[in-house]
Amino acid sequence: MNARKSVRLTVKRQSAPAAEPYWESFDIPWKPRANIISCLQDIQCRPVTAEGKDVNPIAWDCNCLEEVCGSCTMVINGKVRQACTALIDQLELPIYLEPMTKFPTQRDLQVDRSRIFENLKKVKAWVPIDGSHDQGEGPVISDQTRAQRYVLSECMSCGCCLEACPQFSLDNKFMGAATFSQVRLFNLHPTGAMHTEERLEAVMGEGGITDCGNAQVCVEVCPKNIPLTESIADIGRQTTLQTIKNIFQK
Amino acid sequence: MAFSENKNLVLTENFRQNGFMNWLTRDQIHYLILKTHSLTGLVPVGAFLVLHLFINSLRTVGVWQYQLSIDLINNLPFLIWIEIGFIYLPLLFHSVVGFYIYKTGTRNVAIYRYPRNGLYTLQRISGAFVFVFLLYHLGTTVVPKLFNGKEHFEAAPYLIGIMNTEFESWFVRLFYLMGIAAASFHFSNGLWGFCMSWGIIVGRTAQRNASVLFILFGFVLMFMGFATVAEFSLNPIDVRPTIPGSM
Repeated sequence: MNARKSVRLTVKRQSAPAAEPYWESFDIPWKPRANIISCLQDIQCRPVTAEGKDVNPIAWDCNCLEEVCGSCTMVINGKVRQACTALIDQLELPIYLEPMTKFPTQRDLQVDRSRIFENLKKVKAWVPIDGSHDQGEGPVISDQTRAQRYVLSECMSCGCCLEACPQFSLDNKFMGAATFSQVRLFNLHPTGAMHTEERLEAVMGEGGITDCGNAQVCVEVCPKNIPLTESIADIGRQTTLQTIKNIFQK
Repeated sequence: MAFSENKNLVLTENFRQNGFMNWLTRDQIHYLILKTHSLTGLVPVGAFLVLHLFINSLRTVGVWQYQLSIDLINNLPFLIWIEIGFIYLPLLFHSVVGFYIYKTGTRNVAIYRYPRNGLYTLQRISGAFVFVFLLYHLGTTVVPKLFNGKEHFEAAPYLIGIMNTEFESWFVRLFYLMGIAAASFHFSNGLWGFCMSWGIIVGRTAQRNASVLFILFGFVLMFMGFATVAEFSLNPIDVRPTIPGSM
């Protein structure tokens, strides 16, 4: 970790959703333990390009700064990851920053990830507890199931698995690993399991579980190490059994 | 809200939207087609590949054993219907849906260089290659056989005659080796994909164990095919009619 005089960030910028993207480079002084977010903050203090041109400050999303909220997800040196845990000293220079390519760009590094939320709504990724009457205590869960669900519940909808997925694109309907993993999470919950069939029906269509190509990049890039491919295979099993049920029982 | 909706109400609504005749929705059809695509890769298409490579490897045992087994197949009742129903139609279905799947993805192994992503790309390329190979393979065997009306005891000597001539050329030998390698890979890797998409293997250990098993299986298939090509190429024997004077 040699002290460097300056760090160059080359950022893909875009002024509005429909505008043409362009690249701009910024030189900022090297600081110890700097990450991408702190560098973007430095640029925000003095938004001047490497060529000395005054420009608008860069727009980006961030919140928790500890890889828990997922909002600062972007493409850094070609690969998708969170900007807050991307330490400058561990990156190859110059650093290239781009917004995620599989979601519509809003401005600079900000993207619209509402598609993830829409998909979670489609699969009813929640445990329904609302009602006009007291529903009593929830059922007991075995510790094994609890542990299994905990890992799945760590998903922060950052979009890494979707950005890196070869089957997920801007213009198709594919739901992607994050959604399937949430179906598994809520089907594993004793109360949530009451809506198993509805969740499965929601992923048994165009853009659903059958559109997965098993490239397994999702599990490689997941910052929370969620066993996404296990979830995909498990939803594969659940939908298979549901199909058998649909054919022979209904 | 959807929560309180009675399942029967949902079904009635479904019928109202789609009518009684149109009892499968667009989404259900999509799901069934892709799930069936995965299944047809195993049976009957994959099962046929195993049988085909295995029976042809009888050539390494002896020309008569080989020829008599093909005689047996060509004397099966309803052969053309078995071929259409269990080979040609499933194969055509698997290919058409396969090219659709190819189109829906954008390969990114150059950026995300992980083994499984490489296999994902290779699965698509090998599938396309096998399709081209099969056009040639069918065009030089089954098509002339049907065109010239060779059946029963006439079929095997006719087909073996074609193959003898084929394997005189280095280009064809190489093309067959590549076709066999691509088909063996596509089937063994596809078996793994089938086990994933139908949920037969789930856990990461199960996934890894299954890949090891299917890699071995793929090499066995490839070896059978290569041995047959080698036998044809290194030990050429002129074909004789099964029933004297019938050629």
